[in-house]
Amino acid sequence: MRPAVSQDVLLALLADARLPTGAHTQSAGLEPALRAGLHPDDVPAYLAARLRTVVRVESATAVVARHAVLRGLGASGVDTPAATAALRVVEGEWAARTPSAALRRSSEQLGRGYLRLARRLWAGHPALAALEAVPRGPVGHAAGGAGRTAPAGPAGAGRAGPPGSSGRGRRGPARPLVLGVTAACAGLDPIGVARLVALDDVQTVASAFLKLAPVDPLVTTGWVLAAAPAVDALARDVAHLTVAADLPAAGAPLTEEWAEAHVHATERLFSA
Amino acid sequence: MPDTPATIPSTAPVLPARAPGDTRALRLGVAGPVGTGKSSVIATLCRELAGEMELGVVTNDIYTDEDARFLRSAGVLDPERIRAVETGACPHTAIRDDVTANLLAVEDLEQDFAPLDVVLVESGGDNLTATFSPALVDAQIFVLDVAGGGDVARKGGPGIARADLLLVNKTDLAPHVGVDVGRMVADASAARGGRPVLALSRHDRASVDALGAWLRGLLLEHRAGRHVAQDPGPMAPHFHAGEEGGHVHAHDGGAGHHHDDDHAPGHAPAVTSPA
Repeated sequence: MRPAVSQDVLLALLADARLPTGAHTQSAGLEPALRAGLHPDDVPAYLAARLRTVVRVESATAVVARHAVLRGLGASGVDTPAATAALRVVEGEWAARTPSAALRRSSEQLGRGYLRLARRLWAGHPALAALEAVPRGPVGHAAGGAGRTAPAGPAGAGRAGPPGSSGRGRRGPARPLVLGVTAACAGLDPIGVARLVALDDVQTVASAFLKLAPVDPLVTTGWVLAAAPAVDALARDVAHLTVAADLPAAGAPLTEEWAEAHVHATERLFSA
Repeated sequence: MPDTPATIPSTAPVLPARAPGDTRALRLGVAGPVGTGKSSVIATLCRELAGEMELGVVTNDIYTDEDARFLRSAGVLDPERIRAVETGACPHTAIRDDVTANLLAVEDLEQDFAPLDVVLVESGGDNLTATFSPALVDAQIFVLDVAGGGDVARKGGPGIARADLLLVNKTDLAPHVGVDVGRMVADASAARGGRPVLALSRHDRASVDALGAWLRGLLLEHRAGRHVAQDPGPMAPHFHAGEEGGHVHAHDGGAGHHHDDDHAPGHAPAVTSPA
């Protein structure tokens, strides 16, 4: 048993931009937004809009995934099949609230990076085994939704390679699923993982902005601080959720449209 | 760098058998400044060796997947075996500080085409200080070219000094840019303490053969368990201005001076990316 780590230190660790998860390849949709004409002065409003919509879904999903895996594992802590079934339901509800395939793919790419981290830091934890047992469909299909029959394992692995694998990488669990499970492994509270998802999104936009439309980084850090009350409010709103069907379903058609366009953009700096 | 094998194989070496289920390839990085010919070197290696080795390629691009598309269009390898990693304008970070995206791509290739012999990882074109982390690759080639100037090799840097192989590329251009290839190779050799330097031109058959032979020898050493990954080191020795007139850091051994704290935070994209 590893010694207990405080909630504050856990959150600081997992929210650290230096965490090796490949997150530096992401702009949280900022690059396509700017290309589509978003004015740099409107980035604080962009942050707020994301916190009300897509980030709210992601954050709530992480909270519910954390609950689902812990509840599924049961008092014994090892009922992996039940936990897998519960996570599969959560992922299906998340996918239903994330209609853009591009956004789902980005989330899965990030999820694979976080999963790599969790596998090493919490190796052997039954919550991770439960997550990795969630069936994955082939690339390009909707995430393994509740009741959907999806083939297990990577599709078409073999000498010819999986179809479409050269483009956007293979399937993985969505980022909020992995973060919820990571919270379960690490002992991070629901409100902590909710804050983590929300703060990470704000920080990702702020960091990416410096590459896309350089300003004094103190300006973007100011945006993060200004968004902090909204981050906290979002976390308080979703931290109590336990049921996948209760996940918020805030649509963000522009965000989705930009994300879809970015898949086909040339000379992009960020993958999403 | 391993000891150079006694006999450099000029044809496919007889490799020791792998343990059952061992699908981990030799992971070979190719780094170097923009435009020195990294993609071309990888295309050459594929053209020369794809008939005798199972190869995969991961490219790191500043923009989208240009290098991957170049290599696919070169027709030297099954396009499915060439994967692109988008680095978020941080080519240096992606091969050194946070290698996650690259490791995922390498492992995917190793799984999809198991068993691969070699996965070539091309860094995004960066500057003289970018080298691969040993967490990502087992060995690395650093590529310079004569057109970048004859004095670059002498200036040194971790890749020039300590990569497993230094290539001085595009030697066929030397007469046109006024560079003495022999001199440049001699400078590089002096900076490398005996590590190999190869003057390469894809129009010079003997040099291409020597490149193929080097990789065959490396693979043999790797498979025999004799090759140990080396970190070329974080930075070239450099000058810090400051009190007492400043001081020079050599970074050998890496003790006592944590570079990230001074002027290159590992991941904060604000200030790092040299791209």
